[in-house]
Amino acid sequence: MKYELVSGFETHIELQTKTKIFCGCTTQFGGEPNTHCCPVCIGLPGTLPVLNREVVRFAIKAGLAVHGEIASVAKMDRKNYCYPDLSKAYQISQLYAPLIIGGYVELSSGKKIRLHHIHIEEDAGKLIHRHGDTYVDYNRGGVPLIEIVSEPDIRSVDEAREYVEKLQQVMRYIGISDCRMQEGSMRCDVNVSVRPEGSETFGTRTEIKNMNSITNIVKAMEYEYDRQVDLIESGGKVVQETLRYDDVSGTTSSMRSKEDAHDYRYFRDPDLVTINIPREEVEALRAEMPELPADKCRRYIDALGIPEKDAQLLTKYRRISEFFDAAIEGVKSPKTVSNFIIGQMFRRAETESDKEQFDLPTTPQQLNALVKLLDSGKIRNNLAKATLEKMLDTGKPATDFISESDMGGVDDNALLALCKAAIEGNAKAVADFRGGKEKALKALVGNVMKNSRGKADAQAAEAKIKELLG
Amino acid sequence: MVTREDVENIALLSKLFVPEEELDGLTKSMQEIIDFADAINNAPASAEGFDCINNLSNVFREDEVVPSYPSEEILRNAPAQAEDHFLVRNRE
Ligand SMILES: [Zn+2]
Repeated sequence: MKYELVSGFETHIELQTKTKIFCGCTTQFGGEPNTHCCPVCIGLPGTLPVLNREVVRFAIKAGLAVHGEIASVAKMDRKNYCYPDLSKAYQISQLYAPLIIGGYVELSSGKKIRLHHIHIEEDAGKLIHRHGDTYVDYNRGGVPLIEIVSEPDIRSVDEAREYVEKLQQVMRYIGISDCRMQEGSMRCDVNVSVRPEGSETFGTRTEIKNMNSITNIVKAMEYEYDRQVDLIESGGKVVQETLRYDDVSGTTSSMRSKEDAHDYRYFRDPDLVTINIPREEVEALRAEMPELPADKCRRYIDALGIPEKDAQLLTKYRRISEFFDAAIEGVKSPKTVSNFIIGQMFRRAETESDKEQFDLPTTPQQLNALVKLLDSGKIRNNLAKATLEKMLDTGKPATDFISESDMGGVDDNALLALCKAAIEGNAKAVADFRGGKEKALKALVGNVMKNSRGKADAQAAEAKIKELLG
Repeated sequence: MVTREDVENIALLSKLFVPEEELDGLTKSMQEIIDFADAINNAPASAEGFDCINNLSNVFREDEVVPSYPSEEILRNAPAQAEDHFLVRNRE
């Protein structure tokens, strides 16, 4: 029998606010242990958490970016569990009235992965297990997170990969998180179940916790799919449980099946008041949103004539698309600019993080000036390419590397002047041509080439002279 | 019904020492507290009525960093600590 993979994601994203969600401690990554802490974020009795306004704004932006509905009323709840990474023995989160309801992430196939909701919550502290004891650092405790909960709409590892990449891309675009999986600012819990192809009901699912790279997500999902199919084929049953993926052995193992059964006893946090979100505030935030990558990609294809594959490369990172937007100002062919960026500039920004930063010595204005020289016919493509390499080596403008003589003659106005001069200075050749001697034209073109030191385009000169004599 | 054993257990969990002679009185008080909570649970009330007792909403702080506490202060009440970390000893 063939089995279908069914998967849903819970994605935690750390927000790039300056301070924690309920206190003024810094959210800076790292720092000496327990130095980014105060009585609020270590949960001492008698302290009062107060919600960071920016967290609400960032979450609304996230909601707008994935086409979710922004709630009018939202509330904070306590999720009770006893584990040393939470000093209060509860996490402040949202269950009953989250900030964002619904929404979707659209894949390149056009398929929409629906979202159930997005809520805000506090991150837990960091545990280090050593010699059987646990060392706790609460610097990360209280850092704001959004959790994006998808519906179980994902049907393959490729869809899973694209879903995560699209989320990462859009959240970086709107500037609410750097979404660095290896640093933990984006983490996924992956639900996996299988069912016979064609079946309408869902199988029992397992949840793989805390995945921190796309490669591992794909491997873990593949492993878990095979494990569940083998189990069912051999007459066994999938048990609903929480799993840990071990990237060394490439296998999943049960994490805490006993604790799974426990109930988080969610209830409204009495310390935190209701959040009302006026529609005007939502509209003001909508107005602040940058053009989203999917819209940008469409515009590059439809309005600028960029091939789809190239448009995707240009829009994958916000900095690159902004560089492109600035470099095409007033140029004849945006495609030429795109070719320079994807061809020559990408060779100097090889890694993902290089592309994310896209901090090359050449500015968009410098590339723009180079392409305009090409547009005007002053220089040819080979020279432009060679010049761009020199520009990228030094950060200097094109004009530092192209002499007047390099540019001589080929400019439309200069060509016209050269042709006129050739006609005026060679009365005999003109008379011969008019008399029917085609060969006499060669002499005139030769004159243009000589006076331009060979830089003029002979064909263009011939056409221009014919036009002037015609 | 709250028993003397319940009170002893709660005291243990709360790391409180309760002298033998106070146990009966505390058991009675605890029972009264539970009864009071039951009375609240039984009171008819709309969810809205309970939502914002003080009619407060949208209490926010601005996203401005204030200095954190030195780690010695943060760790001061920790039952155990090591290398500037809270230490949770393995109970096994
Ligand atoms: Zn704090």
